[in-house]
Amino acid sequence: MQHRSIKLVLASAAIFGAMSMLGYVGVQRGWVYLLEVDAFVERTSLHDQRVRIAGLVAEDNLDSRPAHLVARFDLLGDTARLPVEYRGVVPPMFHASVEAVVEGQLDDAGVFQADVLMTKCASKYESDEHAQPAHDWSDLPTEPLP
Amino acid sequence: MTSLGSLALTLAFLTAVGAVCAAVASARLNRPHLLTTAVRLLTGHFACLTVASFALLVLLGRSDFSVAYVASYTEHALPLGYKLSAFWAGQEGSILFWAWVLGLITVIAAWPLRRGKGVEPAAVLGTLAVIMGFFAALMIFAADPFTTLSVTLADGNGLNPMLQHPSMLVHPPLTFIGYAGYTIPFALLIGALVAGRRDQQWIASTRRWLLFSWLLLGAGIVVGGQWAYMELGWGGYWAWDPVENASLLPWLTGTAVLHTVIMQRSRGQFRQWNAWLITWSFVLCIFATYLTRSGVVQSVHAFGQSNVGTFFLSFLLASLAAGAALIFWRRDTLKPTIQTLDLRGKVFLVVVTLLVIMTLATGIGTIFPILSAPFAAEPITVDQPFYNTVVAPLMLVLVGLMAIAPLLKAGPRGWENLLRRIHVPVIAAAVAAVIVVILGWVSLWSIAVAAIAGFAFAALALDLAGRYRTEQTQPTPRPMSQVLVAQRSRYGGMLAHVGVILMAIGIVGSSVFNTSDTVQLRPGETTTVADYTLTYRHLHQGRGPNHTAVQAHMDVARGDQRFTLHPQLRFYDKSDKTHAKIALRTRLDEDLYITLAGWDEGGQVASFRVTVNPLVLWIWIGGIVCALGFVFAWLPWPRTVTVAKAVPAPAATSTPTAPPIAEPSHA
Repeated sequence: MQHRSIKLVLASAAIFGAMSMLGYVGVQRGWVYLLEVDAFVERTSLHDQRVRIAGLVAEDNLDSRPAHLVARFDLLGDTARLPVEYRGVVPPMFHASVEAVVEGQLDDAGVFQADVLMTKCASKYESDEHAQPAHDWSDLPTEPLP
Repeated sequence: MTSLGSLALTLAFLTAVGAVCAAVASARLNRPHLLTTAVRLLTGHFACLTVASFALLVLLGRSDFSVAYVASYTEHALPLGYKLSAFWAGQEGSILFWAWVLGLITVIAAWPLRRGKGVEPAAVLGTLAVIMGFFAALMIFAADPFTTLSVTLADGNGLNPMLQHPSMLVHPPLTFIGYAGYTIPFALLIGALVAGRRDQQWIASTRRWLLFSWLLLGAGIVVGGQWAYMELGWGGYWAWDPVENASLLPWLTGTAVLHTVIMQRSRGQFRQWNAWLITWSFVLCIFATYLTRSGVVQSVHAFGQSNVGTFFLSFLLASLAAGAALIFWRRDTLKPTIQTLDLRGKVFLVVVTLLVIMTLATGIGTIFPILSAPFAAEPITVDQPFYNTVVAPLMLVLVGLMAIAPLLKAGPRGWENLLRRIHVPVIAAAVAAVIVVILGWVSLWSIAVAAIAGFAFAALALDLAGRYRTEQTQPTPRPMSQVLVAQRSRYGGMLAHVGVILMAIGIVGSSVFNTSDTVQLRPGETTTVADYTLTYRHLHQGRGPNHTAVQAHMDVARGDQRFTLHPQLRFYDKSDKTHAKIALRTRLDEDLYITLAGWDEGGQVASFRVTVNPLVLWIWIGGIVCALGFVFAWLPWPRTVTVAKAVPAPAATSTPTAPPIAEPSHA
């Protein structure tokens, strides 16, 4: 019985050790600070780090150019705002006033250079009458859809 | 209709409270006929929920925009199917849907108990009634789907465009049915613990509900992955998002308990594991809902922040406390009847340990922002590399153990049996690994999965050949189909393992060897991605039922093959958001996946994301095979000899020889 207990303790210790090591390596590879806009603007010590920031996309200066794979906008917190330049495929659900999460780093000019842009696809969908369409398709030829 | 719905919800709450009282009174006063009353009240509860659900469906179908829920999730132009699917598109409706499903399966599970006696059926019915009462109370006090607006709107907001996909007609119901299904095993466990059951019969009823719930939840997860692949336009099917992870957690513990119930039923072992795993599977279903509805962690898809999260958290903690207290109280009845594990038992122990560790790792990763908050300057979130480092290797080991499953025999000569038959599978594994290397798919993951697949298929073939030879030595040999049906539990499980291995092939192929590029093209320009040459021709617009679509014409060449794909961007009339409709060419060896990202200058410049995903189709095929395996195993078990006889509990029950719970007739 004692022999069984020793084996059990050794096996548990081995599993715990292996998992701790895997967990440590995993966190080292995959961690990033997650902040709201206000917290990021306040914490200057994080301005030279890669971080993930959540906020609301401002309506007044959104410049989204999906064809050129770039979007420039301000991300709003409760009091602060952060200029963001995102390069990559602009998510289809991205538009003004949407909740967005960006990941990247602040550059010397104070613009947050993001290479990840995610928008909340909340199941609770509510239309926003104030938002402007991101595209104008009026100059495209009309054909029936297949 | 709103008054009818509200009245039905109020009556549903009252009948649930009545059922709790009847069940408790039956046990306390030793009045078995009160169990019949409790079952009738639960049936009445289900009838009330059916009326409420019918009322909501009528309101949705009629586009009654005086109701806040209908106005929030539908519009006049929405096709009827999607109008009705809005039943589970929003928070209030989805809670009603969950409650209705729970009501249905509760009636199915409770009906055989109406003539039961003693404390066990009373505890089962009482537990079910408490859970159903919770959902009814939640709808009355925090998430009423029948709230009316002060003015009737001319039109509604419409359904989220991403939910306007056939998968969304299927994915949420499957997931909710899976979640609801885990309630029954939890209630049966509570009943068995309260009664102090030492026999294995109750676990047989439980197992079939576990299979049912596992199958539905697993199907929900796979269909959800397919929806994400087809609708989100980023080229993947799983992003380790908190909401996705939340549905995975009960599925992982549910997978573990499916294995441990086999050991409890056949050898009386893993009893405490079963009790904990059933409790955790139920609690994690509630946790998944809490995570989705509370907004405690950032997710790309959530139902938004609301106070229902507090309700779910309180209920989750109460359920966990009740389960833990009962398991502690009845720890003597949960001791194994046989102490020593044979080889199969040891492998099961490793499998279950791995699944529990995967659950823990996924859970910790999911709530890492909350866990890290007290220790870090700001909350820390972990991403795909964390899961790939921690969970993926464990999954690989797990799939490896599935491969050796056909070689494992119960009994003391397990190692001898394994070593005697392992040569052919080892050779098959080596051959498969060499073939993969020759094909140029060189990575540790691809070689490992190929070897595992080779081993698994050879081991299964060997097992089937052995069965066939054994059968031929019998005086009246049966056809193999009869042999397989006679052992449907074993071979259903094997088929499910094959499905998982096929899925692993698809996951590794599409994760390790995918090629993706983002390109900007002018009409007539050509680009090459992997083996495909793509030529952009032009853009045009067209009208759908409730949207305008901008569609690209892309000619594709691959060797001698020529075809055209049409990725779209859709603009819904009731939405200021754009929705990408991908163009997909799917084959057994790889998918070509094109997303139209945007355009400029009247279509003279257009951007596309082009992804070539090898072997993705095998994920969906594997899911179907896995489901078929479970359906096969779900058929009633053949009679087996149970190890332990029913032994009455030492004390603390008014009816120590509680009769076994009859198995639900449909399951």
